[in-house]
Amino acid sequence: MTGDPLHILIAAAVSWINFVTIDLIFRLPERGGVSGAREIARQIEDGGGDLHGGYMMGNIVSSPDASAGTLLAACGVYIAGIPGGILAALLVYVGNRICHDPGYAGTTGALTATFIVYGFTLFGFAAAEFIAGMVIAILTIQGISAVHASRLLSILWRWRRA
Amino acid sequence: MNADEVALFICAAVAAYAAVRILLEKNTLRKLPFLNVLSFAVAGAIALLLPHPLGIIAAAAYFIGSTLESNAIASTYAGGIRQQ
Repeated sequence: MTGDPLHILIAAAVSWINFVTIDLIFRLPERGGVSGAREIARQIEDGGGDLHGGYMMGNIVSSPDASAGTLLAACGVYIAGIPGGILAALLVYVGNRICHDPGYAGTTGALTATFIVYGFTLFGFAAAEFIAGMVIAILTIQGISAVHASRLLSILWRWRRA
Repeated sequence: MNADEVALFICAAVAAYAAVRILLEKNTLRKLPFLNVLSFAVAGAIALLLPHPLGIIAAAAYFIGSTLESNAIASTYAGGIRQQ
């Protein structure tokens, strides 16, 4: 429980794989769920990015998706263990309905993340390391280069469709 | 530093970085993904600073509220409710 940088990097990679996999399973890059998500995708495409990756980024901005579920589940497990993660999943479910999102990517991501984070705490990881890890994971998608992130997500989306 | 302090430091550093990117980006819609990163970092910091069951609700309420605002801003730029 020392805040080992290696632990945080592993937590970031695990969180990244969890939320990207679930968002792809729930077809977030297929289209924008609300007009705002479609408009964000169009702006990212105008800036040199890729439309389908842009749709996923727009959907992440517009409603709590599996990335938000992973973060809030890590927060829940940090504070109250598995019941905290389940509470976070419930709050994400309510958040999805508030944001006119008919999907279940956020709730599913929160539930899988609850058990993943709890599982890692049994092997010497701290739940706080997953909070930092998820913040780093979302930084790589939404916070560095919209052009490159949207192209990467589009490549993954083509694999998903194939 | 223990794990909590390292995690809080990372959240604060990412939040500050995202705030700078928001200031530098001119296009309002392209600011929103950076605002999303800022919300993640602040929600994580809230949970780390308030380790109490209500802290989960505070972090989730902050995050979902921020997401709904981004959704509303983006949808307004896209032409409002008529195009939904």
